[in-house]
Amino acid sequence: MKLTQISRCFQGVIPSLLASADANGMPNVTYVSQIHLIDDTHVALSCQFFNKTRRNLDQNPNATVEVYDPLTMQAYRLRLRFLRSEKSGPLFDSMAMRIQAIASHTGMEGVFRLIAADIFEVVRAEEVENFLIETAEPQPHEEISVTGLRTELRGLQLVSERINRADDLETLLAAALDALDVYFGFEHTFVLLLDDLTQRLVTIACRGYGGGVGAEVAIGEGVIGTVAREKRVLRLNALKEGLRYGQAVRRSMMDSGTFSIRPEIPLPGLPDAQSAIVLPLMIEDRLVGALAAESRDPVAFREWDEAYLEIIANQIALGIDRVSQLDDTMSRPAAEVRIAPPPAPIAVPVPSKRHTFTYYRDDDAVFLDNEYLIRNVPGRILWKLLGDFKTQGRTAFTNRELRLDRSLGLPEIKDNLESRLILLRHRLREKCPAVQIHSTGRGKFALEIGADVDLVER
Amino acid sequence: MAQEKLRRFLDGGISVFVGTVDAEGVPTCCRGIAVDSKDDFDSITVYLPAATAGETVANLATTRRIAVALTEPLSHDSIQIKGVTRGVKLAPAHDREFVAQRLEAFAERLGSFGLPRNLTRTLNHWPAFAIEVSVEQVFDQTPGPKAGVELR
Repeated sequence: MKLTQISRCFQGVIPSLLASADANGMPNVTYVSQIHLIDDTHVALSCQFFNKTRRNLDQNPNATVEVYDPLTMQAYRLRLRFLRSEKSGPLFDSMAMRIQAIASHTGMEGVFRLIAADIFEVVRAEEVENFLIETAEPQPHEEISVTGLRTELRGLQLVSERINRADDLETLLAAALDALDVYFGFEHTFVLLLDDLTQRLVTIACRGYGGGVGAEVAIGEGVIGTVAREKRVLRLNALKEGLRYGQAVRRSMMDSGTFSIRPEIPLPGLPDAQSAIVLPLMIEDRLVGALAAESRDPVAFREWDEAYLEIIANQIALGIDRVSQLDDTMSRPAAEVRIAPPPAPIAVPVPSKRHTFTYYRDDDAVFLDNEYLIRNVPGRILWKLLGDFKTQGRTAFTNRELRLDRSLGLPEIKDNLESRLILLRHRLREKCPAVQIHSTGRGKFALEIGADVDLVER
Repeated sequence: MAQEKLRRFLDGGISVFVGTVDAEGVPTCCRGIAVDSKDDFDSITVYLPAATAGETVANLATTRRIAVALTEPLSHDSIQIKGVTRGVKLAPAHDREFVAQRLEAFAERLGSFGLPRNLTRTLNHWPAFAIEVSVEQVFDQTPGPKAGVELR
């Protein structure tokens, strides 16, 4: 039997059994959260603790594992011979990354880590006969049909077309996430962009969630932060199983009283996600953001999905670079260009509401009626727009003048101005319908205010 | 305290794994369905499906050594029992209901976090071998730094 025929058993959905024995013939049996398939004759186990199994393997290289198909529950026994431990290399890195992501999610980064990837030769693999009883009910099965493949390839073309057609960041990201839903069935997706100033990833576009734009994660934190730091794709099936395992270790460590552990970082997105894939958005070797997709199906993301999502992630990254250069060319002032006077104020409707915006200098954050609204550069932009409106009655603005305004703290190059404006627009749409920002053409936008606005600075 | 922890594993809804070894030192494993103890873990009875436990029973006939791991599937709390086999027999008909109940509790437990109950119910569980084990050592096997600590 070829192991690749039973590749589903290696996705970590149902823990596997592992039996080993010491030099005196005393058996040991344990469950293993995931066995990693290397090729048709080799598998790897993650060594996270120097446990009994690990000590047994040094005395007796024979082991047996029982793995289970998550869709049918059928068991397979693999007779193994321990070959070696690897402490570096591509396989080690790939296994370590999954463990790091789970460790980071459970607040145990640096404590719960991969010590080695233990490599085994598979001497024999066999189906466990009569493991299941005959049942009249049809069993679920999963096949990739040719029609499905064709649909996905066609989907790739369509996604590329839509990304290439978009001439601003918001349209590009909305089109990409829409296409992932329509052509690939990924209903829960989001894109985060790296803010070079804060070294945090900020959610800039979401699909399938009731909000979430503006959510942030630091480089290295959680699954998404780990992907950003390592600049590698991470596909996590049976996510809950992995996190439960991590939480068991965390509880055990806290009980032992020898470790100080940070509070858990909440998983962004679906509260009941069973699988996830996160891809770095890269332009050459520069990280610009991340694309994340989640599913309630524990085996939603297969190798094939990873392959074409990588293509889409590349397209999105290139698209982001293209539209930001477009925006730069159109709105970045040349040294000799004289800045035109600000456009004349336009009439605004008579307001019927009153809102108080408060800027907290120490926190660099703007609050709306005592509720957090936005911080950092987008917060400062909002504060400038509202200030100009109050003192001069201005409602029309340009990207160019924002880039010239040193008080906003935009970096000289790669300022991500458009993504900061998108974030600001989303937050206002979500939290303050009476104050809105609308694009009025490339590099231009208008502030629309339908309320009395008070500004307080603290 | 340790005794209380052990008793919780008799309530059902847990994974039961058995490890044995042949005369050449080659280990094997087998999934069990149920475990019981009438003398507070001085001895235990482990129920293994007869259909899949042939190799395990053959090993026990020659080496008698056995390891039994019990795991709570949601929390991963685990213990491992090491001992010597006192006897192996086909489980009597009056144990059938107990074994079926334990499988149902396991299906219910896995179902509570998304694994379809009907799938778990397809596990072959009867006829079963009843393995009588004299308990020699019990270890904590919950993943983490305390894994391997002897509980009694």
